[in-house]
Amino acid sequence: MRPAGQGEEMYRGRLQRDIEIWVGKGLLEKGQASAMLADYDSRPASFSLGRVLAVLAALLVAAAILLLVASNWEAIPRLVRAIGCLVLIWAFYLSGAAFANRDQPQLATAMLLLATLSFGAAVSLVAQMYHLSGDEMTMVLLWFGLACLSAALFRSGSQVVVAGFLAWLYFGLYLEAHVSDWIGWAPYAPPIMAALVLALIYYTGAGRARHLVYLLVIGWLTWIYSLNQGLGMAVLYTAIGLAAFLTVSLPLPPLAGLLRTAGAAPAFYTFLVVAIGLLMLHVEIISGPRLVALGVVTLAISVGAIGIRGRDNGAVRYLAYLVFAAEMLFLASETLGSIIGTSGFFLVSGLLVAVVAWLVIRLERRFAGSRKPEMAA
Amino acid sequence: MSYLSDTVHPRRALGRRAFIAAIALALLQTGILATMVTSHAVILRNGAEVLLKAAPVDPRDLLRGEYVILNYDISGVPVETLTGARPQGKGEQRLSVRLKKQADGYWGIAESSFGSLPAEEGTVVLMSLPFDYRPSDYTTAIRVDYGIESYYVPEGEGRHLEQAPAEGRLAIAASVSAAGTAQIKSLLLDGKPVYDEPFY
Repeated sequence: MRPAGQGEEMYRGRLQRDIEIWVGKGLLEKGQASAMLADYDSRPASFSLGRVLAVLAALLVAAAILLLVASNWEAIPRLVRAIGCLVLIWAFYLSGAAFANRDQPQLATAMLLLATLSFGAAVSLVAQMYHLSGDEMTMVLLWFGLACLSAALFRSGSQVVVAGFLAWLYFGLYLEAHVSDWIGWAPYAPPIMAALVLALIYYTGAGRARHLVYLLVIGWLTWIYSLNQGLGMAVLYTAIGLAAFLTVSLPLPPLAGLLRTAGAAPAFYTFLVVAIGLLMLHVEIISGPRLVALGVVTLAISVGAIGIRGRDNGAVRYLAYLVFAAEMLFLASETLGSIIGTSGFFLVSGLLVAVVAWLVIRLERRFAGSRKPEMAA
Repeated sequence: MSYLSDTVHPRRALGRRAFIAAIALALLQTGILATMVTSHAVILRNGAEVLLKAAPVDPRDLLRGEYVILNYDISGVPVETLTGARPQGKGEQRLSVRLKKQADGYWGIAESSFGSLPAEEGTVVLMSLPFDYRPSDYTTAIRVDYGIESYYVPEGEGRHLEQAPAEGRLAIAASVSAAGTAQIKSLLLDGKPVYDEPFY
């Protein structure tokens, strides 16, 4: 899978610079270099300004439709508004299908976006017509279901993104009403929705929508922790995060194939869960030998994560550095702060940061060193 | 924004499949919307009418527009009206509330129950929305919603309703289906409907 959008443009620039360097060092012939760049340029571009503008235009028009409904404008009779919404839904879906067939995916994407968002406008209009309240979550669930169905039938990545945002909206509406309670079946929805959207992401190839899903699950897990704060929960959170991180990091046969297309994100987000779990543990454990043990475990986990995924996953590496450095400074402030004055504390912190920097530089050099023999091979 | 675009797939022409998908989705959504509209229109047309005292507040919903939040006398169900068993643990519950016409013409609570209440001549049984119930000996009234707490108005008119003196002037005529679902029929200011409310 090729990186899309802005990253792609940046990749083109980096590739050109690197190739120029290699030509300068005599590693590449000039002819080969220009042939490589020409080959890259001949691939179908995945970034097109036209497509982005088409999507932006569709979002603006959809916002206009949604707000026109919300304005409850009396100049247009209610029945006309309702029929108008239906006509829009039909027109957008049919023209979406027509553009998809005429090989104009940009316009098809825009039309499908408009169709799905128009359904939201129609549902809101019905609620407004009959003065319904307390049914918002049911409506969003219905909307989410139709976005998923539309994504599956048209194999459309943009519809998956819409579904991802609607899953967030659903969870948000639940939190708005019952942020500190687990009521009914709705709290089970976020992970189920996340799984559904993830399946659609694999089906449609809408790679970047993954972040929406991962963040939804992490938000949901953090919310669960906020409901049942306690040491046991923090330990469980960290343990589950570690298990998930190891599962996605170690190349086990059944998962490896699926994860190859997912890139760096699964390891990063599972390690983020571990980091949040460790943070919770630091909220629960505030003193004594257990705190020292926790500090050692935290440092070991961050070094271990760098060891397992540090070399090929920059996101995990930097998060692990952050955890490592934060833990060092935290331990320093806990054990030294009560002994010496503030000025001395800052001096010690400065020296400690220097020690951390020295350790990190050593680690980085070691990775640079271990990479060299591979390149030679 | 580029992550919104469908690029990753080498797109084969979907052919007739795209049109079948478009028609299926549009038909399904038409069906859903028609079902929603008729289910609400039927309650307005055939439901039993009750008159409820209300007081407004004035917020705005991003998708549904400006509305008046209505707080009813019957929104707090006094525990002494409860009949039948009360749930022991906390959890999601619904209340059945029997309304009866009072001397002043408005409808008030005659009886309430966590189970179902049988139909009775001259009364209307209303179902609350699900709510989070926590048993407590100190509760004097249970706060419930009936799904008729929002009255959507054209932009800019919410304030006008809000300025109507709260005491007794604002009321709601609601229609209640046999299953106990309530729906707002009209908003009354000094006994007169403020807006026309057609069935469709």
